Amino acid sequence: MRPLRLLSSLLKRLGYGLALMLGVTLLSFTLMVQFGPDKTFELLGKNPTGEQIAEVRRELGYDRPFIVRYGAWLGSLVRGDLGASDTTGEAVAPLLARALPVTLALVLPGYLVGNLFGLLLGMLAAWHRGGAWDRLVLGGSVAGLSLSFLVIIILLQILLSTPYGLDLFPTRGWRVTDLSSYLHYVTVPTLALIGVTLGYNTRFYRAIVLEELGREHIRTARAFGATGREVLFVHVLRNGLVPIVTRLLYSIPLVVVSGSLLLETYFGIPGVGKITFDAMTSGDQPVLLAVVTLTAVGFVAVQVLADTACRMADPRMAQS
Amino acid sequence: MKPASTTKITLALLTLALLAGCSEAPESQPAPSLRTYVHAMDGAPATLDPGQASNLYANTLVINLYDTLYRYRYLARPYELAPNLAADLPTVSEDGLTLTIRLKPGVRFIDDPAFPGGVGREVIAQDVVYSLLRHFDPESRAQGAWLWRDRLVGLDDWKEAGADYDTPPEGLRALDDHTLQLTLTRPYPQIVHTLAQGYAAVVPREAVERYGRELGVRAVGSGPFRLESFDRSRAVLVRNDAYRQEPVDLAAEGFDPSRDGDLGLEHIEGRAPPFMDRIEVEFIAEDAARWNSYYAGETHFIKVPVAQFDQVLASRSPATLAPELLAEHRFDAAPEAGFVYTSFNMADPNLGHHPDPAQAERNRALRCAMVKAFDWDRRNAQFYGDMGQVFPGVIPPVVPEFDAGLDRASVTRDLEEARALLREHGWTAENLPELGYGFPSSVTERQLFEQFRSFMGDIGYPADKLRPQVYATFGDYYRAYSQGEVGLITTGWTLDYPDAENTLQLFYGPNASPGANNGSFRDETFDALYEEAAVLEPSAERTRLFAAMNQRVIDECAAITGLTRSLLLLWNRDLVMRPDRAFVGGYAFRFVDRRPQPEP
Amino acid sequence: MNPAASAPALRTREARVGLALLAVLGLASLAVALGWLAQGWDQAIDDQWSGPSLAHWFGTNRLGQDVFDRALVGLLTAFSVGGIVTVGAITLGALLGGLAGWHSGSAVDEALQYLMGVIDSIPIYLLAVALAFSLGGGESAIILAMVLSFWTATARLVRAEVARLREREFILAARAIGLPAWAILGRHLLPNTVHILLVQATLTFVAAIKTEVILSFLGIGAQDGVSWGLMLAESTQDVLAGHFGNFLAASLLLFLLLLGLNLVADALQDAFDLREPAR
Repeated sequence: MRPLRLLSSLLKRLGYGLALMLGVTLLSFTLMVQFGPDKTFELLGKNPTGEQIAEVRRELGYDRPFIVRYGAWLGSLVRGDLGASDTTGEAVAPLLARALPVTLALVLPGYLVGNLFGLLLGMLAAWHRGGAWDRLVLGGSVAGLSLSFLVIIILLQILLSTPYGLDLFPTRGWRVTDLSSYLHYVTVPTLALIGVTLGYNTRFYRAIVLEELGREHIRTARAFGATGREVLFVHVLRNGLVPIVTRLLYSIPLVVVSGSLLLETYFGIPGVGKITFDAMTSGDQPVLLAVVTLTAVGFVAVQVLADTACRMADPRMAQS
Repeated sequence: MKPASTTKITLALLTLALLAGCSEAPESQPAPSLRTYVHAMDGAPATLDPGQASNLYANTLVINLYDTLYRYRYLARPYELAPNLAADLPTVSEDGLTLTIRLKPGVRFIDDPAFPGGVGREVIAQDVVYSLLRHFDPESRAQGAWLWRDRLVGLDDWKEAGADYDTPPEGLRALDDHTLQLTLTRPYPQIVHTLAQGYAAVVPREAVERYGRELGVRAVGSGPFRLESFDRSRAVLVRNDAYRQEPVDLAAEGFDPSRDGDLGLEHIEGRAPPFMDRIEVEFIAEDAARWNSYYAGETHFIKVPVAQFDQVLASRSPATLAPELLAEHRFDAAPEAGFVYTSFNMADPNLGHHPDPAQAERNRALRCAMVKAFDWDRRNAQFYGDMGQVFPGVIPPVVPEFDAGLDRASVTRDLEEARALLREHGWTAENLPELGYGFPSSVTERQLFEQFRSFMGDIGYPADKLRPQVYATFGDYYRAYSQGEVGLITTGWTLDYPDAENTLQLFYGPNASPGANNGSFRDETFDALYEEAAVLEPSAERTRLFAAMNQRVIDECAAITGLTRSLLLLWNRDLVMRPDRAFVGGYAFRFVDRRPQPEP
Repeated sequence: MNPAASAPALRTREARVGLALLAVLGLASLAVALGWLAQGWDQAIDDQWSGPSLAHWFGTNRLGQDVFDRALVGLLTAFSVGGIVTVGAITLGALLGGLAGWHSGSAVDEALQYLMGVIDSIPIYLLAVALAFSLGGGESAIILAMVLSFWTATARLVRAEVARLREREFILAARAIGLPAWAILGRHLLPNTVHILLVQATLTFVAAIKTEVILSFLGIGAQDGVSWGLMLAESTQDVLAGHFGNFLAASLLLFLLLLGLNLVADALQDAFDLREPAR
């Protein structure tokens, strides 16, 4: 019976996911295409005639009714065609395929280290709940939460990449050819990403650990003489795995786009965020739509995945 | 999960991330034996399709990847035309209406899958015809039509008839594979200039048909370089080994020993370009980043950001390099080929033309008061490092017709006179019109606006009557002022070709918005003079007409104008070159060479 | 849960520091709004980039304007943008969340949940930027954009709480005696969700200020006037020439304001035991 139920819940999730996709694309199409920036005048030469203006608008598809354009776009999306950039003319799929690895290489270290540090600090604070360590970690995380991403980036850049500071790393760019050049370019963005997420991560993990520490089996284990390290890394982690993995998964699509947007724009790194920002400021609708759609696909996929994984891991949830 | 396995997974993911990042890196660092020149630009081209080479960034790459019929001599200033793909300057008929141009034989496109067998074929006159006609094909998205519209016989009919490339119009014909004939509707003295632009670069039809819009990220040309890679952050060009052998004749290129003597240019004399194996063009928009990367030696050339002038220069006029830079660097301080100005929206009856002569006169007084209130010296000091050249009117210092002796009243701040103008014509803080000042969103543009508003505040223009109108993209700003939605239009004009006609057309009535006459200035006297001068070859008579037009713009206070920025170019002394950052001509990388290194 | 519980919660040392910070900054922005402070923010009063002095605590900028005056005007911008977004997003979230919760399981609930799902599937900056562009840019556009993107978090919490309360005895009793829905809402449901709204309000305030700064930095936010995001954008050019006034003034005030808000938010969350880890 269980596999069947799993399958039906999976299908239901997928159905909902599809409906969600339809909503996301409709909303973003309305905002970005119907009301978005107009590219006509960027594509016109000097001294254009009225006829030329009309030609460019026709070329861009601006003259067709909204519903026709949306339909046509959905149609090509279903066929796996994301269209071509209105700026360079390059097909969107290879454009993003080229950018995605760069973005992953850029954000993954910060994302992983940020979560790892958050987990360790959260454990430290929770273990000493109410004590000096707890107060220190919490105080530090409040300060961290109060720093804007932007301030962290500029500050780190001044301190690490300019003659006014240590001047150790490049101010911008991404000319990665091997491990050492990778570390050279990724360090400052990684530190910035850790800086902006550490406060949130620490609080999240502290709450999880606290909750687990309060459970019966942990108290039993401790009564039976388990060491602090065993309790934290074995018992607490094992039981807290579901919320932790869920959070890790859920944040990926957003980290990849939102997190990279500012970092890549600021550091001039040719990843998804920079492409997205360039598309925004130049009104490159096919690229924007592709980014939004793919993010939403990732989001829905993660939801289905997380949900299914949780159900398989924890049969009790399947009942509810 | 045990701690050990967490660590393992983390490591595995990190490795994955590293690999992912690496796989996208450009092939590998060039071997040291390769001769590489790294050029920095402050913006990235949107596309490399010659049909859309509308800005400096695209033009610079296009003229190095493709062939144009003509080019500008490397060192000659003022700019001088020279044959490039053409064998010689055109032969012009008696009436000046028929131009015959011979092409060099044996020039080949680079090898590309677009050609049968993947082997590049010869460049022929039909290719030139095809490349120019693309600008009139509604489906090509090419942007250069304004250069030839109604100038070539039959062009408009050709478009009407369905833009069939196989039946070219009468005015644009290939007589045989190596002979091109242009027939003009009226004399067009600037036509050879237009054939030196990226817009006129020669594209093979096979490539356009094979790649479609993807041609924007490729290049199939016959220029001195081939494209290896191109994205939003850099373009990599490699030498076209099959490029025609044409040894450099420095004297013919306009070499001036007193100016160019210490650049080491003798080294390229008599040798055939291109000299470098590899050109990397980095697109770095942020000043700080561009400067740091030059300073760290990562790039070999930079247009120095204004904020850096103090560190780079020992003195401003004449400009001299700071002593600590002398050993490693070479520099040039040159005026840009263009200027910045603010035009008034003359179509706005509160500010510009008005059917009632009395009101029209009041409006003129208002405009002139704003002209008098504007502080060019402060603008120059705070934004252009005090190195810009402020000049009256719209004929900038870079063109031969520039008149250094013109009355400077229109660029000299005089608050008393400005206030008097307002007072005499009944303008008060209450009845001054509310005006929108437009700009595309950027820090500097916003600061320019705030400075403008404070200048106007000094003659009592209430701050809340000068509203900022900010646009997300330059295209949106362009659309807005083209549709008359902006009262005060601040833009820069970059010359397409070194001829004052190109700036005077900014005030020609028929070019009113959405044309380049963005303030829609309409003046019968001006238009008549313009039409008279437009068909004349450069001459004293033409210069006189230009001066009269310039005076009309000044007298009517059609714009607050103008300032030509100084470009401070700095490059590594190991490179033998004289860089240029003007739109006209672009910068030919083929002449760049490396100074011979002393044997170790 | 009694909202009066917030009073003792705010007596901790951290909360007092937070409240004091907010009070000082609030008074300062009020003084700016009333025209007592920083009135010369748009005047070019001195030399370009003069260093810190008694007259200009953080020096002057490229145009010769007083940097600290501009940072104070930025404070007013932050308060007004944050305040309007908070009120808007919380109101919208409470209303729609309450509606969904009250009708939980119905088509209305389904539709509202779907809408929230759609909004939450688009990365916040993308949504805000797209909304801001389509509304023509400017301060009001980004305010509306933030309201439309931020309300879902509150709505989800309120929905869950109302759906839970609806089945509780005192509500069932109230419904049994025929009390109209609005009366139940006003008398029973609202007081029992106030703690959620209060905590959400502080969190939304923080998110709104942070987002406004980034959007303005990216050039999509404030048009006239000053925002810290604009000052930070200016500072990225200034630091090249070694001028740090814009950066220090804007980031200092930004930090203090966010710190005050976070300290208060923390105290409230502790008091109501509402630590909401996900975000």
